[in-house]
Amino acid sequence: MNNGAVRSRTVYLDHAATTPVDPRVAAAMARCLTAAGDFGNSGSTSHDYGDAAATLVENARAQVARCVGAQTDEVVWTSGATEANNLAIFGAAEQYRESGRHIVTSRTEHKAVLDPCRELQRRGWRVTYLEPDNGGLIDPAQVAAALQPDTVLVSIMHVNNEIGVIQDIAAIAAICERHGGAWLHVDAAQSAGKCAVDFAGCGIDLMSLSAHKVYGPKGVGALLVSRREPGRARIHLQALQFGGGQERGLRAGTVPTHQVVGMGLAFEVAETERKPEAARLGPLRERLWQGLELLGGTFRNGAAAHSVPQLLNVSFEGVEGESLLAAVRGRLAVSTGSACTSALQEPSYVLRALGRSEALSESSLRFGLGRPTSGQDIDTALAVVNEAVSRLRRIGGT
Amino acid sequence: MRYNALTLRYFETAPGAGALDGPDIWRGAAGSRAQGTWVQFDLQVSCGHIQVARFLAFACPHTIAVAAWIAEQAVGRDVVAVLPETVEQLSARFAVPIEKRGRLLIIEDAWAAAAGQHR
Repeated sequence: MNNGAVRSRTVYLDHAATTPVDPRVAAAMARCLTAAGDFGNSGSTSHDYGDAAATLVENARAQVARCVGAQTDEVVWTSGATEANNLAIFGAAEQYRESGRHIVTSRTEHKAVLDPCRELQRRGWRVTYLEPDNGGLIDPAQVAAALQPDTVLVSIMHVNNEIGVIQDIAAIAAICERHGGAWLHVDAAQSAGKCAVDFAGCGIDLMSLSAHKVYGPKGVGALLVSRREPGRARIHLQALQFGGGQERGLRAGTVPTHQVVGMGLAFEVAETERKPEAARLGPLRERLWQGLELLGGTFRNGAAAHSVPQLLNVSFEGVEGESLLAAVRGRLAVSTGSACTSALQEPSYVLRALGRSEALSESSLRFGLGRPTSGQDIDTALAVVNEAVSRLRRIGGT
Repeated sequence: MRYNALTLRYFETAPGAGALDGPDIWRGAAGSRAQGTWVQFDLQVSCGHIQVARFLAFACPHTIAVAAWIAEQAVGRDVVAVLPETVEQLSARFAVPIEKRGRLLIIEDAWAAAAGQHR
């Protein structure tokens, strides 16, 4: 187990996995916890404690909505993006099961979308998995071609969590709109604070959000459920849990005031700082890539021109993936492209979908830059990776 | 993935990593890089004794550590086609997860190929 001293010497470049809570956010959350603060239940509107909490919850709802171009009453609190994805996919599938049982998604979605889709397949739904191009992008024409008369849901992520590419959601939304029967769900867990999000402007029906990717707390997220303007069809969902009727009956359970207050402020700060952060991190990411490229046998994964500035994914030829991660451990905190769910690592299914070989899909590193990332961190990361890759190539005789 | 102290030590230092060249080198390899694990041993043998042992490994940390340890242990010993410890003993010594035991068989094959075959 690492202790604090060891961690302090480790450069953290895994901000796509999670981010530290912004101190301003942590302070706002702390004010909702004790008797000296607003600890009330936002559902208990028969007294001032409850009213105060309800005011904070609604203020947070407005903060999140403003950051993503949504209306306040379109925000449904959840425990995170995984729950939001489950509520969107199962909620829509069950609601419209009499209209159709066909879903369209892509091979490179997060497991929190793919696994619910696989479960629906097990229950009798048909799922079309779109193949991205070698940059990780889905051509909206692929969505149009995949739609069938009984398609009820299209689920395409906005920003990919492994390679950072941004899908053309506006074009996909327009295609779904023309189809008439297919609702569009967008997993935007990686989007807030990294690129512009316009829920209403794009005509999206459902969108999943997460707090802990943008310097907010873990354990809270939201599903945006479009209310659309009068005269246009409005999506309805079947609830997945019951017991209190909170969140318009879509998500029963006491709303955790401190969590949603944290998410609201985290989103507000992230949106305020989005453009200057992108301007700062973009050049740092390119400096990292240019340094890694000098090693030779390095391959950048994902279409660089269509990606968020916070993410860089690189495969290293002639290096075994688990050894690469072990060789940098203690000095650099990054993720591998492998799904390390057991003692045996498996190649990244995202990189495999891009057409990368099994070996290159396994020997990749995901660098997630964030607010604390400095030029010195990039230089340290370059030195650590260069040393590790060179050493492993020597040991491997490559 | 977590590794015990011995695995970390031999993975990080990799004593004996490299290749030997010359007419008296016994070389053997097993596995495949494409499949994720490849190991090669080079042995310099004199009068039936191993004078120098080197290894190369495109492999996980457990495999690199075990190959490095075996190369280190080999020096001064008689050339025999069996490893100084069984796969089970090596697994215990290096805390190799059961899912990875097959990789130790690749080490065993590479060693047997080197010790049993004069290049």
